Amino acid sequence: MQAPRNPAAPYRHLDLTLLLSTLGIAAIGVLMVYSSTRQKQETAGLDPAFYLKRQLVYVALGLVALAVVCLVDYRRIRDFTPMLYGGAILALLLVISPIGTSRRGTQAWFQIGSFQFQPSEVSKVVLIVALAAVLAGARGSLDTAGLLTAMGVAFVPMALIYVQPDLGTNMVFAAVVIAVLLVAGARPRHIAVLTLLGITAVALVVQLGMLQDYQRDRLTAFLDPQADTQRSSYNLRQSQIAIAAGGLAGRGLFEGTQTNLSFVPEQHTDFIFTAVGEELGLIGGVSLLTLFGVMMWRIWRAAVLARDQFGRLVCVGVLAMLVFQVFENVGMTMGITPITGIPLPFMSYGGSAMIASFIGIGLVLNVHMRRFT
Amino acid sequence: MTQDSSRLRLGVLGMVVLSLFCALLARLWYLQVLAAPTFKVEAQHNSVAVVYTEAPRGRILDRNGKVLADNRVVLALVAHREEVAKRPEVLQRISDLLAVPVDELNRRIADERYSLFKPVPVAVDVPKDKLIYVREHQSDFQGIEGLQLTERVYPNGTLAAHVLGTVGEINDEELGPRKADGYKAGDSIGKSGIELTYEKELRGEPEIAKLEVDSVGRVQRSLGGQAAIQGDDVRLSIDIDIQRAAEESLDQGIALARRSTDFLTGKTFIAPGGTVVVTDPRDGSVLAMASSPTYDPNEFTNGISVRRFAELNDPAGHYPLNNRAIQGLYAPGSTFKLATSIAALKSGLIAPRDSYNDQGSYTVTGERSATFTNARGARNGPVNVTKALTVSSDVFFYWLGERFWDNRGKFGTAAIQDVARSLGMGIYSDIDLPFESNGRVSDPAGREKLHKDYPEAFPYPEWYTGDNLNIAVGQGDTAITPLQLANSYASFVNGGTVFSPHVGSAVLDHQGQELRKIEPKILGRNELPASIRDPLLTGFRGVISDPLGTGFAAFSGFPLAAFPVAGKTGTAEVSGKQDTSLFTAYAPADSPRYVITVVLEEAGLGASAAAPVARRVLEAIAVKEGIATAPPAAVNRVDGRD
Repeated sequence: MQAPRNPAAPYRHLDLTLLLSTLGIAAIGVLMVYSSTRQKQETAGLDPAFYLKRQLVYVALGLVALAVVCLVDYRRIRDFTPMLYGGAILALLLVISPIGTSRRGTQAWFQIGSFQFQPSEVSKVVLIVALAAVLAGARGSLDTAGLLTAMGVAFVPMALIYVQPDLGTNMVFAAVVIAVLLVAGARPRHIAVLTLLGITAVALVVQLGMLQDYQRDRLTAFLDPQADTQRSSYNLRQSQIAIAAGGLAGRGLFEGTQTNLSFVPEQHTDFIFTAVGEELGLIGGVSLLTLFGVMMWRIWRAAVLARDQFGRLVCVGVLAMLVFQVFENVGMTMGITPITGIPLPFMSYGGSAMIASFIGIGLVLNVHMRRFT
Repeated sequence: MTQDSSRLRLGVLGMVVLSLFCALLARLWYLQVLAAPTFKVEAQHNSVAVVYTEAPRGRILDRNGKVLADNRVVLALVAHREEVAKRPEVLQRISDLLAVPVDELNRRIADERYSLFKPVPVAVDVPKDKLIYVREHQSDFQGIEGLQLTERVYPNGTLAAHVLGTVGEINDEELGPRKADGYKAGDSIGKSGIELTYEKELRGEPEIAKLEVDSVGRVQRSLGGQAAIQGDDVRLSIDIDIQRAAEESLDQGIALARRSTDFLTGKTFIAPGGTVVVTDPRDGSVLAMASSPTYDPNEFTNGISVRRFAELNDPAGHYPLNNRAIQGLYAPGSTFKLATSIAALKSGLIAPRDSYNDQGSYTVTGERSATFTNARGARNGPVNVTKALTVSSDVFFYWLGERFWDNRGKFGTAAIQDVARSLGMGIYSDIDLPFESNGRVSDPAGREKLHKDYPEAFPYPEWYTGDNLNIAVGQGDTAITPLQLANSYASFVNGGTVFSPHVGSAVLDHQGQELRKIEPKILGRNELPASIRDPLLTGFRGVISDPLGTGFAAFSGFPLAAFPVAGKTGTAEVSGKQDTSLFTAYAPADSPRYVITVVLEEAGLGASAAAPVARRVLEAIAVKEGIATAPPAAVNRVDGRD
C-alpha cells in the first residue's frame, strides 16, 4: 500500500459530512422559501420565482464566502482580528447613523440597490473570532481580568446593536459569549452569574418598555398564547396551527394552505420552519432537525479535535451561534420560546444571515482541516 | 486548564446542545402527532372564508308597473374603523385622491349609524378609475376596501312612504328567528311597510362565495359558491297618480286648516296631521294611502342616524313615521251613523219613513238627565233616517240611541256596536301592512273591562243612557282607524262583503311574469235587503247633492252628473283638542269603484276641512277616468255644518 504524499494536507481533511449537511439544509431552505412565496407572488402578478432566485444567489454567495474563509489558514485570520473587529464596530456605528435604513422600528440595514445588508449578522462571526483570540491565551483557569476583557470585547458591539434595537441578535451574542467563556475555562460561578445577568437584562429590557409595543407583545406572547389570537400572539398561534396541520407526513410540498395563504406572517423569513412543518410533516421536520443535529455534532467534534485553543473556541462560538438560533427560531414557531427576529440559519430568506452562517461553517471547516498542520 | 477539563466543558456544552434538540423534537412530535387533530380543525376553518353578499331586493311597483322602490348600484370605498384608526396616513391619501377634507372623512367614519363591526362607507359614488386605483394600491390603503354596493332607492322620495316602508340593518331581535332562513348580522331587512310584509319575496337569495383568504383577508382564489338571486318584484294595488293626488290634497288641506280660525277656540287650527285612504270597494284593494306628516324612506337606506331618528320620533314633529291610515285611532263622529242606521233599520227599531222632530236638542230624563244638542244648535225639523243622514241630524240619532238603550232587553246592550264590528270597525282589518291598530267600538261590556284593567284611565265602569246617545253619533270612547272607516263604507256599498284590504296585488319575476296573485281575503258578509240599503244610499247621496246636505258646499262645481259622489261628513269632539274632521265618500254613487276616507286631526268640521280634500282627490280620479278634463284646483275650505 502506498502512503499518501502528504497525509496532513488540509484538503484531505475537509469535513464533507459538515459541508453536505450544510448544503442539504440550505437546499431545503431554498425549496421552502419558494413554496411559501410562490403563490403570493403569483396572486400579486409578480414573478413567482423571485424569492427562489434571490435565495439561490444568497446560497451561492455564502458558498463563495465559505470557500474564501477555508482558503486562508485560520491562524492567519486570527492575526487580522483587530482589523475585523474594528471594521465590524465601524459598520455597526454607520448603520445607526442616517446612512442606515430602518424597518419596523429597527435600524439595522444598509440599502445597497435592491439588496439590504445587515452588518449585525456578520458581526456575530467577527465577535466569535475576536472572543476566541482574546481568550485563547488564557490556557488554564480564566482569571477575572481575562473575563472582563472578553466581556469588554463583547460589550461594544452589543451596545451598538442594543441601540438599533435588535434584541434577538444580542441574545445570540450573549449565548456565544457564555459558551465561549465556558469552554475557555471561566469558573462555573462566573458562568452562572453571567447567565443570570443575561436573563435579567432581557427581562429588564422587556419590562422597562425599552422595546416598541409590538416587539414586547410578540416577545411575551408565548407566555399566554390564548390571550389574543388576533394580535400579538397571532403569529404564534397561526404558526402552531400550520405545523400541526402537517401531521406525520405533511400536506406535501407547495400544498400548505396556511403557508401559502400567508396566515403565518414572515413565512419565508423567520417563520420558515412552519412551512417545513406543514408541508413536510413530522418526517420532514425530524429530518431537518437531524441534519442540523449532524451539523452541530460535526462542529462540536471539530472543537474537540481542534489543534489549538483559538480554533477550539472559534468552533464553540460558531456552535453556540447556530444552536442558539436553531433552538430559538424553531422553538418560537412551536411556541416554546419567545418570538424574536432571529432567522433560522441556512433556511430563512435573507442574504446577510446566510453569508454569516456560511462564514461560520467555513471557519469550522478551516479549523478542522488544518488540525494536523 | 487541563485537557480533561476542556473535554469536560465541551462535554457539558454537547449535552446542552443535545437536550435543546431533544426539546425541539419532543415539541414537534407533540404538535404534529398528539395535538394535531385539534389544530387541524382550526387550520381548515381559517383558510376558507364564506362571504355572503346580499342580493338586490326586488322592486316595488304600482298597479301600472311604475317603479316605487328600486335599486341603485354604487361604487363605494368603505373603511374598517380599527385598521384605519391605526393608520391616519391612509385617510390622508383618500383625501388627496377624492379631494375630500380629512375632517369630513373622519366625520363619516365616526357616523354612529354603522355598527362597529361593519365597514363604514367613507365615499359613495366613487369614480371607477379611483376605485381601481385604490384596489391596485391596496398596500397604501390598508383598511380601505373598494366595493360595489347595491342601495335601496325610492325614486319618488316621500311618495307613498308609509306604504312602501323602509329597509335597515337587521337587529338582534329580528335576526334570532331568521337565522334558519340564512340571515346574517349586518343584513338588510324590511323594517316597515311593504318592505316588511313582503320581505320574503323581496329579499332574494344572497350570493354565497367560498373564498380562500389569507390572514389579512385578501382573497387568493374562489372555491365556487352560489350566485345571488335578486328578489321578486311586488306589484301594489296603489295607483301612483291617485296616491300623488291624495298626498298633495292632504297637504293642501292641512296647510289650509292651519291658516283657518277655529270658531270654538278663536285660534287657528293646529292640524298636526291627517290621512287619505282610497280603496276599491269591489275587492278591498287600496289605491292610495297617504299619511301626513311624512318622511323620506331614502333616509333610512344605509342606516339612519340616531339624531335624525330621534327627530322623526319627537312629539313636536307629530310622528311622521306613523301611518295614520292604519295606526291612527279617531272617534268617527257622524260617519259612524252608517252603523247606527243599519242597526236601527235591521233590528226593526224604526222603519225607513219613521221620523223625529229635530228641534236642535235632545234631553235625556231620569237620574242623570242631560241635554244633547246638534252641532251649532241647528234645527232640522221632522227628519227620517234618509234626511237625518243628509243633514246630519244628531238629534235623530240620539233618539235612536236612547230607544236602543231603553229596549236593551229586546235588542241587547250593544246593538249598534255589533253592527259596527260586523262592518269591520274596531277589529284588525288584517291589511298586508304591519303595525296596524285595532281600535275599539265602545260598549257596556268593554267599558267595564277597561275600567277593571285600567281604573285610572277609565274611572267609570257603568254605561249610561248618555253613553248610548254618544255611540249613536260616533262619539265617546270609540276610536277606529281611517282604513276601518273606509272599509265599512266599502262593504256597505259593495253589497255586504267585508274585505280585508290589501296593498300588494301580485308577486312578479323580473320579466314581469306574475308568479303569484295576492288574492283578496274576505272578513265577513252582511247582506242587507234593498229596503234597508236604499234609504241609506239616498241619504248619503243627499249629503253631496242636496243643497241641505252637509257636503254640498264642498262639492259645488264638481261634475256630479258624470261622476256622482255620495258620502258622509263627520266631526268628532276630542276632549282637550280641536275637532277631528272626517269625511267618507264613494263614487260613482250608483256603482261605486272608489271609496275615500279623509281624516284631518284638529282641523274643524268634516264638511269644512276633510270633504274638500276628498273632493280634490275625486277630481283627480275623474280626470284619470276621462270624465273631467281640467286638472283639479287647489283644496278650498268651505263653511259648513255638521
